[in-house]
Amino acid sequence: MHIRGGVVTLPMIIAKRAGRTLLLLLFAAGGTILLVRFAPGFFSDSREMDAKYAQAAQAEIQAENSQQQSVIQIAIREVKSWLSGDFGQSRQYHVPVAQLIGARVRISAVLLAQGIFRGWLLAICAALPISALRKGAVLWRLPFTILLAVPTAAMATACILADRGGPVLVLSLIIAAREFNFLRSLLEGAWRSPHLLQGRAQGMSPRALVTLHILPNVAPQLCALATLSIVTALGALVPIEVIFTVPGVGQLAWSAVMNRDLPVLVAVSLLMACVVGFAGMLSTRTVNLEAA
Amino acid sequence: MKKRIAAAILLLLILGATLVLCRSRYDYAFQDRDAIMAPASAQHWTGTDELGRDRTVRVAAALLIGLTGAAAAAAITTMIAAFFGLLAAFSPRWVAAILMFLSDVFLSLPWLFLLMMARSLLPLTASPLETAVSTFLILAALGWPACARAIYRGASVLRSSEWMIQGHACGLKTRQLIRLHILPHLRPLLLPQFLICLPAFIVAEANLGALGLGVGEPVPSWGAMLLELDNSALLARSHWVYLPIALLAAVLLILESFTTEAETNA
Repeated sequence: MHIRGGVVTLPMIIAKRAGRTLLLLLFAAGGTILLVRFAPGFFSDSREMDAKYAQAAQAEIQAENSQQQSVIQIAIREVKSWLSGDFGQSRQYHVPVAQLIGARVRISAVLLAQGIFRGWLLAICAALPISALRKGAVLWRLPFTILLAVPTAAMATACILADRGGPVLVLSLIIAAREFNFLRSLLEGAWRSPHLLQGRAQGMSPRALVTLHILPNVAPQLCALATLSIVTALGALVPIEVIFTVPGVGQLAWSAVMNRDLPVLVAVSLLMACVVGFAGMLSTRTVNLEAA
Repeated sequence: MKKRIAAAILLLLILGATLVLCRSRYDYAFQDRDAIMAPASAQHWTGTDELGRDRTVRVAAALLIGLTGAAAAAAITTMIAAFFGLLAAFSPRWVAAILMFLSDVFLSLPWLFLLMMARSLLPLTASPLETAVSTFLILAALGWPACARAIYRGASVLRSSEWMIQGHACGLKTRQLIRLHILPHLRPLLLPQFLICLPAFIVAEANLGALGLGVGEPVPSWGAMLLELDNSALLARSHWVYLPIALLAAVLLILESFTTEAETNA
């Protein structure tokens, strides 16, 4: 790969992407701090409305909140907490944020991995035959269109009401619905390519066409799409974990925003931005490799 | 043809909802204490909720509020996106780089998480109307980055077109060129962006509402209606509890059909 006469090596590309991702992370963290600090509700604390706190306790809470007013102070405190590795103290649970997140990351990661894998399996299994259809494809696409029109929260609630499925099923269905259309159009293009027509004319079986020609040809795009599924799955994670009461990062994020727990909020934002940045880096890299 | 049928159904739904709100003797917030969790009857066509509020009226109001709010938010977000996209396209490279980096920062956080974070930071004492307005304003304020990127790409292509050079040579100012030539040319790009935002904002509001962060009670919204499904006592009494979710899916399907057609045309 050559740019402006110089050779751009793989480590240089990786370093450039990593630098950009790091900058994005810093801005995401800074943005979160600014958003929280200048939000009209920053000075509201749900504990102040709770009758169980005595007047003295409420005065203490107010004093504690008033100490955290300056953006610089908040930023310095946050950076110090990152450097110490504990990411600060949670305002609602009174434990180090790293400890809170560490216990939940595994649960969310397993849920994400299972949801993405099953969603993709479902989308590929449906898109492969449907993309080869010449008539009636609209009818077969209908279930995915309907799934796309159902909000995550509604789907999760419906699962609970029916007492069927769980968080993995809902996440899989969301991923499948989102990725099905991309996959179908990608595969439709692949089916129409001249070498496939030639193969069909020569009597190759559909199975051989799919395994030997279609899947290897669309593999780079599939990889790029798969990494972007992580972003879709992360977005769906919060309502799914809250509704199914899964003790993961999504539920922690929801609880943090409900209780204005700034240290947890910033740490979760960083974690999510990190995952999204990494997914973006991977998808760009896959597309670059394909172009090369 | 498909678009016309979808538009006709949507229009019928809007007219029906308006008619229900105008003709009904109940307000969406009126609580009939003698008919709590009542099944369908002549007084309450689709029954009442746990506070005795008429479900037909609330669903009709939720439909109109959801559509109006989402349409307004989509229009605002498209305008913000057009502003930033055009600013990036017609500014020096470093300005474009900063603006696109800014949009990347927004895109680096999952959409719902960002919304949830922004929405939860509003004062706890906000009135229901304020929560409704702020929910849709937050949707509008955070929805622009992806649209801005698309508009930036489109405007960058147009900027280097021959007729633009001709326009500059004729003495037209950049502002005039944007208003008279670029914006009309970007219309095929702006309309799909608006139509894509519409269902996305309705879904986002429903998800936020289901998490308790949407439009505040007693103003009806899709999110608040979804929360009704948590009430097992209500579910055992009436199947009309499923009406909001069915209607929401129908509205979203109609809007998705517009989106698909607009994307194809673009």
